[in-house]
Amino acid sequence: MKKETTYADIFESRGVNRRDFLKFCSLMSVYLGYASTFVPKFVHAMETKPRIPVIWLHGLECTCCTESFIRSSHPITEDIIFNMISLDYQETLSAAAGHQLEAVRKQIMKEYKGKYILAVEGNAPTKDDGVYCMINGESFTNVLKETAADALAVIAWGSCASFGCVQNAKPNPTGATPVHKIIKNKLLVNVPGCPPIAEVMTGVITHFLTFGKLPELDRLKRPKAFYGTRIHDKCYRRPFFDAGMFVESFDDEAANKGWCLYKMGCKGPTTFNSCSTVKWNGGTSFPIQAGHPCLGCSEPGFWDNGPFYTRLANVSFLGTNSNADKIGMVAVGAAAAGMAAHAVVTAIKKNRQNSETAKIEEG
Amino acid sequence: MAQSLEQQYVWRLPVRVYHWINALCVTSLFITGLYIASPILSPPIGEAVWYHQMAWFRYIHFGTAFVFIANFLFRLYWALFGDDKYGRFAGFKPWSPDWWGQPFKEQLKSYLFIKKEEPNYYGHNPLAALTHFLFVFCGTLFMMFTGLAMYGENNPGGFTDTFFGWVVLIFGSSQSMHTFHHLVAWVFPVYLILHIYAVIRHDIVNRSSVTSSIITGYKHKVEESS
Repeated sequence: MKKETTYADIFESRGVNRRDFLKFCSLMSVYLGYASTFVPKFVHAMETKPRIPVIWLHGLECTCCTESFIRSSHPITEDIIFNMISLDYQETLSAAAGHQLEAVRKQIMKEYKGKYILAVEGNAPTKDDGVYCMINGESFTNVLKETAADALAVIAWGSCASFGCVQNAKPNPTGATPVHKIIKNKLLVNVPGCPPIAEVMTGVITHFLTFGKLPELDRLKRPKAFYGTRIHDKCYRRPFFDAGMFVESFDDEAANKGWCLYKMGCKGPTTFNSCSTVKWNGGTSFPIQAGHPCLGCSEPGFWDNGPFYTRLANVSFLGTNSNADKIGMVAVGAAAAGMAAHAVVTAIKKNRQNSETAKIEEG
Repeated sequence: MAQSLEQQYVWRLPVRVYHWINALCVTSLFITGLYIASPILSPPIGEAVWYHQMAWFRYIHFGTAFVFIANFLFRLYWALFGDDKYGRFAGFKPWSPDWWGQPFKEQLKSYLFIKKEEPNYYGHNPLAALTHFLFVFCGTLFMMFTGLAMYGENNPGGFTDTFFGWVVLIFGSSQSMHTFHHLVAWVFPVYLILHIYAVIRHDIVNRSSVTSSIITGYKHKVEESS
């Protein structure tokens, strides 16, 4: 009987020593929020579980998720992940192309029926029979449905696949639809972000491999381990927020001193992600640390909650773009003007009545 | 020309207490809310730990919000079980076509100066009841639910988040929920203008001492006989 290759075998063949392997297992259990007692479980899973084939589809997207994924910081994470999962179909990274690659996809779907993971990057334009995204002469919507049918689980990479991102921002000309609205009866996890943090992506896969199930999800089907708190709540500039010390413009002294970017439109207070803890590029930095407000890229509809550089979002109001305060002041002004006009009419009416009664009394 | 004065006890103590607590809460919530959305008066350069400006505004906003909610629930109880002729929901039936009938139309016509007569009610007139329902009752419910949902975000999985966190799904994202919370907050100053104007106008036109009635509880009807 042919022994199925486990992760440990792969690490060994790649020359990863046991020490580094254990380091990786500890790191992943920490990222996923497990106690150190869980590390042996990770190690055991890595040593015994066979590789899972992954089909990675690209729909309407910009490939930033792939770019983020291949830059997973931990030196061996990247290597391990690429060996852990057998990434058999990935349009950007696969050496094969065209019919050959499509044949691979079909083969995996047949050979590993109900056992492969479907990772989707990007979403599906549903308008006009999906002509706005075609793969090998087939609409992406159909490819997605066909591939998801026999998948063990679906991972929606990035804001496009999770919520729609820029493609389904108003007015959504192509009818771009996030994956969870098309694939309804499958285990599905949303990993939003534009792109998601590399460690978050690898963390989700590792969790699945280790425990054979998806991590605990929140209401929007995001893994709680990574999307459980707002960026704001773990932001290192939070003390400046609480103190009321805000950057007013990008070149003022407050900006130099690293005060809170709330007034510069930072969406940290409404964005659930782990940028302020895991950070980017191997823990180097994250947008707020670099002095730029958070755009809220992992939140649903973040393109429609702009502008990026003001705190109050624009609301379309009578054909204009206003914010809540402007609309409110117009409403208060209108109410005041209306009441004033009403008062004037009441006064005129009362005067007339008084003079009428006076006339009657005189007469 | 003689004047006879008819006195009627309209607003019982629970209603008056609710009214003033509510007025104070809404004022405080609106002002602190505006600050939270667009903070001003940044403290001078220094250590962040020396100041707690935003923290205080938020603290007052959240604290007042809970008083506001408790007060609203108390008023709801009083409206349902208080057995208070002028302070209950009994007369307000906007789902029934009858309610939109004669009294409502006459009041509307009077406000629009189509009719000369000024109907006089001891309690709320139908239009006042409707305005009150839309602005205060619905407005409060909206602010309560969105507010609690946002408050729960600081502790996902906690009590507030578990029971009110689902509200975010209606708005799609936390940011748009914030936007709508802010937008609907403006309903209260708009209502305040309508409310104050209507009260003063009725006081002058109907001479019903409606302004002082929310302090004393008594309304008066002046009947002039010559």
